[in-house]
Formats: sequence, C-alpha cells, structure tokens
Amino acid sequence: MNNIVSKILIVANLVFSLCFMCFAGAVFTFQAGWRDKANKTQTQLASANDAVKQLQGDKDLLTTNFTKNLEDQKTRANNFEAKVNGLDQNLKQAIGNLANAEKERDKHLADLLVAQKEAQARITETNIARDEIKRLRDQNNEAITVRRGLEDKSLGLEGEIAEAETREVQFLKEITHLNDLLRFNKIDPRDPIIGPVPKIIELVKGEVVESRKNASRSAEHVQISVGSDDGVFKNLKMTVYRDSNFLATIQITDVYPDKAVGLVIEETRNGTIERGDNVTTKF
Amino acid sequence: MSQQSSDPTIYDGLMFVSLGAVIVGIVFLILALDGYGWSAG
Repeated sequence: MNNIVSKILIVANLVFSLCFMCFAGAVFTFQAGWRDKANKTQTQLASANDAVKQLQGDKDLLTTNFTKNLEDQKTRANNFEAKVNGLDQNLKQAIGNLANAEKERDKHLADLLVAQKEAQARITETNIARDEIKRLRDQNNEAITVRRGLEDKSLGLEGEIAEAETREVQFLKEITHLNDLLRFNKIDPRDPIIGPVPKIIELVKGEVVESRKNASRSAEHVQISVGSDDGVFKNLKMTVYRDSNFLATIQITDVYPDKAVGLVIEETRNGTIERGDNVTTKF
Repeated sequence: MSQQSSDPTIYDGLMFVSLGAVIVGIVFLILALDGYGWSAG
C-alpha cells in the first residue's frame, strides 16, 4: 500500500463511490417528480395523439372534400377554359369581323364623300336648272301674255275684216247701183271730175253741250255732243233748233272723235242758244 | 512476509467508506427501480 499509485486509485475510488451514491440519492429523490411529469407528458401525448388522429380524420375529410372540390373546380376550370377558348375564338372572329366592318365602313365613307360631292354638284345643277326654269317660266308667261294680246288683236282684226268684207259687199252694191244710175242718166263713169267734189253730208243729230261767247261778245262758240266718229267734219254747217224752232246755223271749226266745236253764224241767229238745244245737219 | 500483519492504514478505511457508498447507492437505485415495478420499458 505504499505504492503511490495505489493510494491515488483508492482516493479516486472513494471519490467516484461518493459521486455514485450522490447520483443514486438524487435519482431516488427526484424520480417521483420525473414519473409524474412523464405520466403527465404521456397523458398529454395520448391526448395529442388523439387530437392528431382527429385532426388526421378531419384532414382526410377535408382532403377528400378538397379533392372533390378540386375535381369540381378542375372540371369547372376545364369548362371555363373551353368557354374561354370558345369566347377567344369568337373574339378573334369578332375582331376579324370588326376589321372587315371597318374596311367596309371606310369604303362606305369614301363612297359617301363621293356621293356628297356628287349630290352637292347635283344641287348646284338643280339650282341652276331651277333658275333656268324660273326664267323660262317667266318667258313663257310673257309669251302667253303676248299671245293673248295677239289673239285679242287677231280677233279684233278678224272682226274688222268681217266688217270690211260686209262694207265691201255693200260698197260693190252701191258702185253697181251708181254705175247703173250713171248709165241711166247717160253719164260715162270714166269721165274725169272737174272741180272740187262736195263731201257727203249725212244725217247727224246731237245736242249742245256748252255755249260760250268771246270777251268782246262778238262771237259765240258752241260745243256739240257729236264728232268725227259721227260724220262731222271741219267747215260743216249744222242747224241749231229747239222744239222745231230754228235758232242759228253754226260752222264747225274744231273736230274731235266724240265732240266738235262750232262758230255761230250771227247772220242766221234767231234766238239764244242754250245747253240741251238740238243740233242737226239736215233741219 | 512478516510485513503482512501490519496495522490498517487510513487507506483501508477509505476503501470501506467507498464500499459503503457503493452499497448505499445501489440501495437508492433499487428503490428507484421499485417505483417503476422493475420494468425497464
């Protein structure tokens, strides 16, 4: 035992033995708490396992539901994808149709512009033609007026011609009668006329319209109601009378178509001439 | 050989102390295992 190594080993043996005793005591002292803790942990573990199992069941159920929903959603997605593809195709077709429609629209717009220009030109032509029509209508109206005037004039001339023809026939009869009368009196109608030929005095009857004397009252002028249209001519002598009483003889000095003015021959005066007295060429 | 009958030293005492400590430790462990019913599982 004198060996130093043996001594050291004995001391080490002592130390380790004491340590073993202390550890064994500590285990004996705390093992109850550890067991309770272990049991509690075991219980928690079991409950946790149950929860895990329940959760697993829920998870499986949810997984099943999710799988089913996923399948449904996939089916719907496929359907929607098919619809989207169809709609996409429709959209492409619609875009193509839209492009064609735009081309047609542009073409129609171009045609419309041309048509508008043409319509404008037609409107201008129509306005010009309308003005021309208006002018021609005015000319036509003027021509109608002229034609009516000419027709009136033609009717008047036809009447005058008819009257002239009647008068011509009458004159021919008178000429024939005068030729017969000349031959009956043994006068050659072709003999020349020597000297002035007195005018034929026709029977003309009228009234005194107004009588007026001059400033010196040496002469009196009488206006009568007959004129050249009735056969009165200048220097014709007419008789003024009232109720078969001779008043005076007048000599025509001024002749108008519907009236005449005569100068009273004072040497023949047999009374006062008044408005309304009668006047005649053959008393 | 005459030297073998010498008096016990302090180291002999320490050896017995060590033996006692080991025994006490074994007792503690036996008691602890008894709480689990000698079952390792």
